[in-house]
Amino acid sequence: MSDRIFGAFGLMLAIFFAWGTLQIQESFLSDTVGPKTFPLLIASLLGLSSFAILVRPGPEPVWPSLGRFVEILAAVVVMVLYVEALDILGFVFATTLATTYLSWRLQSPLWQAGLVGVGTAVGIYVIFHLLLGLSLARGPFGF
Amino acid sequence: MAFKLVRAAATVAGLTFATGAMASECIAPAGPGGGWDFTCRQVGKMLQDLKLIDETMQVTNLEGGGGGVAFAEVVNKRGDANDLIVAASSATATRLAQGAYPGNTMDQVRWLAAVGADYGVIAVSANSPIQTLPELLEQIKTDPTSVSVAGGSAVGGWDHLKVLIAANAFGIDDVRTVKYIAFDGGGEAVTQLLAGSVQAFTGDISEAKGFVDSGDIRVIAVLAPERLPGAFADFPTAKEQGVDAIGANWRGFYAPGGMTDAAYNTWVEDIGALYASDEWKTVMAANGLAPLDLQGAAFEEFVASSVAQIQQISKEIGILR
Amino acid sequence: MDILASLGDGFVTAMTFQNLALALLGTFLGTMMGALPGLGPSNGVAILIPLAFSLGLGATPALILLTSVYYGAMYGGRISSILLNIPGDEPAMMTCLDGYPMAQKGLAGEALSLSGIASFVGAFIATWGLILFAPILVKFALLFGPAEYFALFALAFATLGGVSSTNQAKAAFAAMLGLGLSVIGVDTQTGVPRLTFGEVHLYDGLDFLVAIVGLFALSEVFIFLEHHHGNSAAGGRSIKVGRLTPPWSMLKSTFGSMLRASGLGFIAGVLPGAGASLGSFLAYSVEKRLVDREGTFGKGDPRGVAAPEAGNNAASGGALVPMLALGVPGSGTTAVLLAVLLSLNITPGPLLFQNNADVVWGLIAALFIANFMLLAMNIPMVGIFTRVLLIPPRILMPVVAMISFVGIYGISGSTFDLLVMIGFGVLGWVLRKLDVPLVPIILGTLLGNTMENNLRRAVTISNGDYWTLVGSPLAIGLWTVAIVGFVLPLFIGRIVKARMHERGDEEGAITD
Repeated sequence: MSDRIFGAFGLMLAIFFAWGTLQIQESFLSDTVGPKTFPLLIASLLGLSSFAILVRPGPEPVWPSLGRFVEILAAVVVMVLYVEALDILGFVFATTLATTYLSWRLQSPLWQAGLVGVGTAVGIYVIFHLLLGLSLARGPFGF
Repeated sequence: MAFKLVRAAATVAGLTFATGAMASECIAPAGPGGGWDFTCRQVGKMLQDLKLIDETMQVTNLEGGGGGVAFAEVVNKRGDANDLIVAASSATATRLAQGAYPGNTMDQVRWLAAVGADYGVIAVSANSPIQTLPELLEQIKTDPTSVSVAGGSAVGGWDHLKVLIAANAFGIDDVRTVKYIAFDGGGEAVTQLLAGSVQAFTGDISEAKGFVDSGDIRVIAVLAPERLPGAFADFPTAKEQGVDAIGANWRGFYAPGGMTDAAYNTWVEDIGALYASDEWKTVMAANGLAPLDLQGAAFEEFVASSVAQIQQISKEIGILR
Repeated sequence: MDILASLGDGFVTAMTFQNLALALLGTFLGTMMGALPGLGPSNGVAILIPLAFSLGLGATPALILLTSVYYGAMYGGRISSILLNIPGDEPAMMTCLDGYPMAQKGLAGEALSLSGIASFVGAFIATWGLILFAPILVKFALLFGPAEYFALFALAFATLGGVSSTNQAKAAFAAMLGLGLSVIGVDTQTGVPRLTFGEVHLYDGLDFLVAIVGLFALSEVFIFLEHHHGNSAAGGRSIKVGRLTPPWSMLKSTFGSMLRASGLGFIAGVLPGAGASLGSFLAYSVEKRLVDREGTFGKGDPRGVAAPEAGNNAASGGALVPMLALGVPGSGTTAVLLAVLLSLNITPGPLLFQNNADVVWGLIAALFIANFMLLAMNIPMVGIFTRVLLIPPRILMPVVAMISFVGIYGISGSTFDLLVMIGFGVLGWVLRKLDVPLVPIILGTLLGNTMENNLRRAVTISNGDYWTLVGSPLAIGLWTVAIVGFVLPLFIGRIVKARMHERGDEEGAITD
């Protein structure tokens, strides 16, 4: 069943892709093939393979229980919040919080998770910023 | 894809510098090895040699859309950077004139100064039976499908226009029949000339020079009003072969539109000082650059008239409605 | 003899205390950067450019430092592939397929040292190839016009079916998804934006580093979260480290694979635009086709570790050929190296070997030195690397996630890229659940642009005649290999298998 839904979704993606391709504004002078041919070819092959998946589905995967599913969703939300927080809190604080959360959800005791968080944030800051000289997000305190 | 990496990579290097003192950055809107890249690197190095800037100028390669990606990046993301200049050339003016940078116009940035002009060349492989420009154009006229011309700019770009101007001057009426193949930069286009995939190359002297020296390709015409000095004196002009076509690719820089007047003036002065130096004259001589002494407002005016002129040509030869 | 004399001069240039120290520093930093997801060879090299200039290094020492980083990163990428199932950089992607299963079987130490040796063999052969055949290879690379490039990429995609999935439709879906993603951005041929929906961040296209880190690293984190396996590896078993060096028999049985993969990888590297990823990919898929009689590839076959590692290191050596001899970069990393050469006032191209012989031979000598250093450094360090497996995932996985974020953010400085990366992470998790292979997606995003541009160039040159794609003996040869070698067996194999099954002859079924 999952594969059938997946195949149907793939078909829709292919149609969307083809539609997006047809929206391309061609410039006044183009090459023989043009900017649309290749994407349309891709769209049709994408649709074809999706159709094959739809009609000949593979074995059903093991989906997580609703609780586990929420777990992953929560992690995604935390990651998005982390990205948004980078510019506000700065790299070290944002990273400490995000790492602590992930480590805690992977069943570390909270105090250990906190240590992992601080250790990761400071460790990455030292290696990437101080040693390799990459520029990381600066917060209100400059780190 | 590779060049995206280069850009990312070069940005890293740029950021590294930025953590130290204020370092300046030059965006080359094409891959390494092309004309824009050469402009950034030569000027960056010389500005440092002449002690006009303190730190190494960081060169960032930002390829795509015939310079459109870099232009959009500067207009949209780096609009008020004071430490940034971008290499530009006739190709930039061409794309702007034809509205080929979607939604962008020339007054969205500040035009700094020119550093010289690079005349266009048309070249064939060393073992090609074609010896002169009229021979090549005659062949295109009789059978346009038999000659593929490779260049480093996108379709409708400056490298493409140069051939069209020559073809037009030769009396080929529908220049759109000229078959042009776009490659990612002059280096790749020359390579495909050597490979025999294409029959002719259109580009700038600086892109062709290394392969001329090694004897791999033969320049059949330089699109200059008269023969160039020094090592380039052997190249015949198109004009002396009876094809009255001139294609000067000026090279210069623009800066973000939001750059402060103070920063703008400093850059104009620095590049002006560079242009006046003897060291730069040596570089120009070695690379086939002809003089073009324009800075600040004068350069801004020049670009505006150049854009108008290209619009005119594009309409005349029928590639712009 | 000329060559040996020049090489001797090169060693004299390279063997100063300062240069050796730089090579050591470069190989070490390169290995580390290769192992960290998100920082690949090209970023590694670029990060150290300012260091090279601020130390005021001359041309040869600067190149020694940077090429050591380049080779080092190629070695380092395999470490996280084998230990974590997360490729450290894109060419190390193929090493995951058998390296991680080996680690799960308790063979992490063997896999690491075997792949270290394979890397050495690949790089060693490639460096000799560079010395002996550079002029011939340039001529060979010139046989590749647009049509031949298109055929080569088609060959790469044809081999996909055999690589990673039992369900061919899913492999095809993944490849098309990758190719579709590569279309996004400003069209390099005509300058019009495609499928960007007005989003400026997409004008430049999707960076495949963002895709690879999201698909592999973040989805791995999600899988651990799903199973709550905070204290042991996925699958509930703890991974044992086992012995650190491969037994002699394993080396002997993989040696042929290493040699074949080195040759293939080197050739892929020589062709501009193909690069190390294609080298390791072809090395793996061709090797699987040739020697995988028992269907052990993908389940922890040592040959499946040796082949891609030899392949990608050989390709990185090969990629130096067009860079030095034509001034055309064959990969992202050589593009950065080319930029360095230009700023040192050395113009690569047909005359480089004559005009700057000292630099070239110094560089080549440095490649040998770096390669030996890497072997000497990597084998003893296997013990340290494998300690990573002793860290419980509840600590390791959050760290991996954060390094992924930093790797991308530090390079692009763009939070938009990070959001895209999270999107790829979710996509990767869903696709893994559905048994859709991830490798073809990366291959598609990596090669899509070049593939399309070459198709369009070829057809334009031939005035709209698509038959030009099979217009030269080389192109026909490549298509034949693709179809006879890889596509037909998929169908014939199925028929044969079905027949064999009827006869109950299980043994016959696997010798197709």
